[in-house]
Amino acid sequence: MIQFKHISKIYNKGKEDEVAALSNLNLNINKGEFVVIIGTNGSGKSTLLNLLLGTISPTEGAISINNHDITSLPSFKRSQWISMVFQNPAHGTAPDLSILENFRLASLRAGKKGLQIGINNSFRKTVEEKVSSLGMGLEKKLDQPMGSLSGGQRQALTLLMGVMDKTDILLMDEPTAALDPKSSQVVMQLANKINKDLGITIVLVTHSMKDALHFGNRLLMFHGGQVIRDLNQTDKSALQLGHLQEWFS
Amino acid sequence: MSAFYLTALQMALCLGPMAMGIFISMKVFNIPDITTDGSYTLGATVTAVLLTSNTPVWLVLPISICAGAMAGTITGFIHTKLGIDALLSGILVMTALYSVNLMILGRSNIPLVDIDSIFNKIPFSSNEQYNQLLIALLFVGCILAIIIYLLRTDFGITMRATGNNPIMSKAMGVNNDSIKIIGLAMSNGLTASSGFLVAQYQGFTDINMGIGIVITGLGSVLIADTISKWTNIRKIGKQIMFVVIGCIVFQSVLAFTLSIGIDPNLLKMVTALFVLLIVALPRISKSFAKN
Repeated sequence: MIQFKHISKIYNKGKEDEVAALSNLNLNINKGEFVVIIGTNGSGKSTLLNLLLGTISPTEGAISINNHDITSLPSFKRSQWISMVFQNPAHGTAPDLSILENFRLASLRAGKKGLQIGINNSFRKTVEEKVSSLGMGLEKKLDQPMGSLSGGQRQALTLLMGVMDKTDILLMDEPTAALDPKSSQVVMQLANKINKDLGITIVLVTHSMKDALHFGNRLLMFHGGQVIRDLNQTDKSALQLGHLQEWFS
Repeated sequence: MSAFYLTALQMALCLGPMAMGIFISMKVFNIPDITTDGSYTLGATVTAVLLTSNTPVWLVLPISICAGAMAGTITGFIHTKLGIDALLSGILVMTALYSVNLMILGRSNIPLVDIDSIFNKIPFSSNEQYNQLLIALLFVGCILAIIIYLLRTDFGITMRATGNNPIMSKAMGVNNDSIKIIGLAMSNGLTASSGFLVAQYQGFTDINMGIGIVITGLGSVLIADTISKWTNIRKIGKQIMFVVIGCIVFQSVLAFTLSIGIDPNLLKMVTALFVLLIVALPRISKSFAKN
């Protein structure tokens, strides 16, 4: 489904501060997988997400989704396949727009943003149902500005917004880094549910070893711009926190 | 109502679309667009030339709006595609528009007396002053209704999200550059429609009539912002209505200034000081509250 072929990414190429973030990476991610990526700072894991999202271009190599070459496709056009949950909850939502308006935009991610008023009673009801599943009581606050909510609430809503429209891939870049433990739990369990119920492929970058152990069915460890460990569900199940800590030492 | 304040009200309504345009560029897209000074004059210039060549007024309006929209498109293109700062892009286009306007006008001033203008097209009232007021009211009401509708549509939500959080809107499949260009075109199209109205209202077009007009729009938007904060009303439709109210307040303050005998030569300075006061007021009141 997602293919990285001979991908290299070199920042500041030819300059004194040249850095190779990824070197000749070959990686396939299959449909429905929940891939957790761990690694030290500068190991290339966020670069991988940004390459997939299209905010940066590879120095060499090609990326494809469902056999479509997306290497030179602008970021906004990739949204037909990809949803993103950012590390900073503020990045995934428009603070001055109401919750309902944020959801409306999310529901049109891959579609046409036309001249009709799309927020009607039936749309409101759909959003109410989805939001009430979070159990945060936000379904009564749909007309409130998104900016009035806490980071955890916004991140949980961002995740729901990610699957408002048809999507194949959900990218999550350290989505719980700015959240308290309770909100982190809500967000991660919701991600797990989305993967299991909707079969959406998830690529999660995290520094949380606990999340890396408890969630996902494939674990990748990055180091020096390469994948140094690739564990499937069975191998991952046998892992313990101590093993992961050892890998980082 | 005294004729002085009636004139101020008429002028405020004529400038209403321009203030709405500033609201779109500044508050919706977060872009300080200085093209306004040029596109306002462009609207008036096109209006003057077409009306004096006996073009029907219903045709003059869309042409002047398109001219303004074109100016906004150029600013948007320079800003998004050439990566030039929005402020500088606006200044460049505004500067260029001075020459364009002068070329269209052919001289620095065209009088519009005894022409078939929008203000004598529909006889709502036998009183000329009230007729002008009603026509301006109808015009602004129509524009207001269109803009409120537009900002509530899916496209409008997309526009607002782009200005509010471009990272999010891009992730939602929005081509931010194109939306910004469309927004600036809309904003300057509205501004040009004010030029269209004012030229006919005051009975002439002058090459310098747009100088500092952006400050009037900015002041109106800031007053609207203050009303919105005071009333805690954040709905987009209400906010844009407040812009028109802001425009009326702004013009009334200027009328009051003149009525108490301040030298008309000082009007631009008074305008700037009034805007400064609106901007500084929240900070001043906060520091007073602290002490």
